[in-house]
Amino acid sequence: MARVAVVQIPGVNCEYETGRALEAVGLTARIVRWNEPASVWSEFDGFVIPGGFAFQDRIRAGAIAAKLPAVDRIAQEAEAGKPVLGICNGAQVLVEAGLVPGFHSGKVEMALAPNRAPRREGYLCRWAWLRAEEGPGRAWFAASARPGEVIPMPIAHGEGRFVTADPEVRERIQREGLVLYRFVAPSGGPADRFPFDPNGAMLQAAGITNRAGNILAFMPHPERATWLRQVPLELKNLWGERRRAAVGQWESLEGPGPGRALFESFASKLTQRAAQESRS
Amino acid sequence: MSAVLLVRLKITDLSAWTALETGRRLLDPGYSLARIAREQLLMFEPEPGAKADSFERALGEAVRQSNFFVNPNKESYRFLTAAERGVSWSPPEDAWGIVSRVREDTRDDGLRERLLREHPMPGLSAIRRAKAWWLWSHGPDGGSAPDYFSGVLGELRDPKHGLLVNPHAEAAMILTGAVPWSRVERFLIDPAPAFRAAA
Repeated sequence: MARVAVVQIPGVNCEYETGRALEAVGLTARIVRWNEPASVWSEFDGFVIPGGFAFQDRIRAGAIAAKLPAVDRIAQEAEAGKPVLGICNGAQVLVEAGLVPGFHSGKVEMALAPNRAPRREGYLCRWAWLRAEEGPGRAWFAASARPGEVIPMPIAHGEGRFVTADPEVRERIQREGLVLYRFVAPSGGPADRFPFDPNGAMLQAAGITNRAGNILAFMPHPERATWLRQVPLELKNLWGERRRAAVGQWESLEGPGPGRALFESFASKLTQRAAQESRS
Repeated sequence: MSAVLLVRLKITDLSAWTALETGRRLLDPGYSLARIAREQLLMFEPEPGAKADSFERALGEAVRQSNFFVNPNKESYRFLTAAERGVSWSPPEDAWGIVSRVREDTRDDGLRERLLREHPMPGLSAIRRAKAWWLWSHGPDGGSAPDYFSGVLGELRDPKHGLLVNPHAEAAMILTGAVPWSRVERFLIDPAPAFRAAA
């Protein structure tokens, strides 16, 4: 069974539910502290940097954690093809470490800037609507998503706006299909206004991968949407209907939620990769 | 000529402390950092044709009485009228500074609306925001070596170079001595300069 390290950096607060979400798709998840010996990271087949407030978001979200030796080691493992999923604060760490989008090796090419929407500022905690796009990260992080499906998922961030000051980087992200998850309207149409575009990110990006597709910086929280019981009753789409229909039925409530597909894709590809490696 | 409000924590600034600890780990032998302090800058810009003294008295009162500029339990401040601020902005003694602003429009319209709703005053066009990091640093020759330190601790280029400013979201200006306020005003008003990641 593939082993995934959930990286526990001081200040993260989603490591346990992220571990449970990984276990729910058949992976072995271990919470690994940031200051474990450097050799520990090579024991794992994949990595998740969970959400929270690493180092209290001091200076900027992710800025301090991005300089940890552990992140450097995980970057080396990713270079060898292992997958890395950064959720929310984990995404901020990956961007500040220059691992996404990775056009110029080792260079920081983006920021996750404070949310920006008309007449709104600050921290945002609500459900948003996403669509998985085609791109190099699809096999790792969205293979289980149905084409065109509108996926509801919670977001909770103050600095979730993907930006780059370099027009060439933006153009290449778009051209090479690195926006794997995009905010959309509940109908699946463009997220042309708040709340569908919740933070003003370039290209309405909710998740951006590197060129190889094995690193995803993802702002929403799939671990908070892994079970049907986590879906709000008032959600106005198929997932809301399922949730309402499941009231009082414990087995149904323990069924998959809309965030499960991302972890299923991750598990499926990890298993494939492990099988390929054992054959070779 | 704009009025200026400078706000800093009077309790321990954990962000500045962490910047100091992290910054020290990025330095080459022979370079040292003694201290980092952080200050918020709010610039109050008069309407075209108006002068800052048309609103400064009311503004000074609003800063003292309102609860949305300064929390006196944890912050101290200096409110400087256009006349009081002088012609140039100088770093604290023995320090130099990195001043950063967002790459987008630096105006805080929400703060201005709230101010004018609760403390109406004539002639105030905009409130602009910036942040100053003050550094007390030493190079091998005993000087403060701002060129070296701004490369290592200023704009983030890669995990080993840069810390305090992510140039994809912010623009920065270095203050190694007295800088005319007019230059600071231009820095806050003009669009942020272009930036290339690969440069």
